[in-house]
Amino acid sequence: MVLIESYITFIHNHLIVCLAVFVTIIPLFLILYRKANVDPSFYLLQIYLITKLIIDLIMFHYATQRTNNLMYYNLSIPLRYALLSGMFYYKIESAVYKRGIIYSIIGFVIFSIWDIFYSNPDIKDLHNHSMVAYATTVECLLLLFWILAYFYEIIRMLKIPNLLTFPFFWVCSGLLLYYSSFIFIAPILHYTEKWENPLYIGFLNLVPYIFETLCLLFFSIGVWIFSIRYYAKQ
Amino acid sequence: MQNSDGLTWAILIATLAMLMMAFFVILFIVFYQKRQLHQEKKLHEIEKDYQRLLLDTALNSEETERRRIAQDLHDDIGTMLSLTKLSLNQLSKLVADSGIKEDQIMRKSQALVEETILHVRRITRDLVPTTLERFGLAAAIEEFINKLDNSKDLKISLISNTEDSPRQSQKTELTIYRIMQELVNNSIRHSQCSMIEINLHVNSTIIELQVTDDGIGFEPDAIKDNNLTGLGLLGIESRLAIVDGTINYEKPKMGGSKALALVPVAPAIDSKPEPLHPFRRQRVKI
Repeated sequence: MVLIESYITFIHNHLIVCLAVFVTIIPLFLILYRKANVDPSFYLLQIYLITKLIIDLIMFHYATQRTNNLMYYNLSIPLRYALLSGMFYYKIESAVYKRGIIYSIIGFVIFSIWDIFYSNPDIKDLHNHSMVAYATTVECLLLLFWILAYFYEIIRMLKIPNLLTFPFFWVCSGLLLYYSSFIFIAPILHYTEKWENPLYIGFLNLVPYIFETLCLLFFSIGVWIFSIRYYAKQ
Repeated sequence: MQNSDGLTWAILIATLAMLMMAFFVILFIVFYQKRQLHQEKKLHEIEKDYQRLLLDTALNSEETERRRIAQDLHDDIGTMLSLTKLSLNQLSKLVADSGIKEDQIMRKSQALVEETILHVRRITRDLVPTTLERFGLAAAIEEFINKLDNSKDLKISLISNTEDSPRQSQKTELTIYRIMQELVNNSIRHSQCSMIEINLHVNSTIIELQVTDDGIGFEPDAIKDNNLTGLGLLGIESRLAIVDGTINYEKPKMGGSKALALVPVAPAIDSKPEPLHPFRRQRVKI
């Protein structure tokens, strides 16, 4: 009962942050409802949304208990990049880009693990665990690059008759908006998300959560317009 | 504190700028692709028009060539045969008293020439349907039916409401006539039918030509896929494409086949029918 009360209080006090967690259910439900997971990219999106929801719920629980939960966020970064860029692996047709995505996943996983240790010299001190210093920024840059590369490819090939009814375009648009809003905030998260002496940036701290929610809504639109018949035409 | 505020503003502005850029990228891609697809569609339409023009020219050339051959047959061969007949008539008077054998040969020659004249006339009419040009579709179809009725054990009927309708353009009438010819010939050749019904109806917007038979019927898609046998049906579709018409084939449950061609009405501009051979009839001005 006390736990539920603490959850409700937390939701009440951090509505925008919590919205980004619970809105994840919408695209996830829609993927299952529309059977969008027949497409490998949407299957990866489904895995990403499931892992995101689990990690977010764990973080939500620890946040209500006033316990440092950044370790889970740091661990989710390489996983998130691997799954999201994996979606582009199945959508991009250029063999060079495909190879680039695989190398970038391997490189980024190694880099983010290094960054976790670099940002937290005492890795066992979970109470003062802080956010990675560079990995989120690098993730933003890499994903923005793959999104723009994919957009360039669809412009060049002109295979899609109507972009607005093409599900993956909405997924890309959501990711583009989210990572565009996140790219300048990511470098300072290392200093703002600290247990002790954090840097206060006010409303700006909420911007990633707002765009995360928007991104999830874009995913939902993409999944909603997905149909198995449409997929068969690809 | 001041540094923190400055940093916040700098990040806010940079984030907003980046977001605007992202929005513009999305908008640019949507508009660019729409424009490209619009242009592609336009190009496709131009290509289609060009193909139509080519087809129109080819069919016009075919008709002109038919007209030329018909004119040659009528003017040259026809005249020469008439003269031959005349000469034979004169010769028959001269050889009338020579003997029975000579007389028989003469009569046989006269009969052959007369038969040849009839054949030439028939071929000329088949090449250029002069009745169509002079009296219109219903009359031309009736003439076509009469010719077939004479030669085949087959019942062909025409139901038409074109008497009160205005004449259609030469191209439209000729297209409908040729389609009717092809459909009826197909029924006779392939369907083993004993009855063919031709329905010709004209209303204010559409000319409907329906050819129904009681034969074995056919699968139009299967025939079109066959390169050799599907040529006739493809020819019909090509002719219809020029006049913006459509054709639909059906296999009724009670048997036989039904073809329904729809052509938009194109009333004729009041002008005299073209001579059989336009170049021959031109008078030289001195």
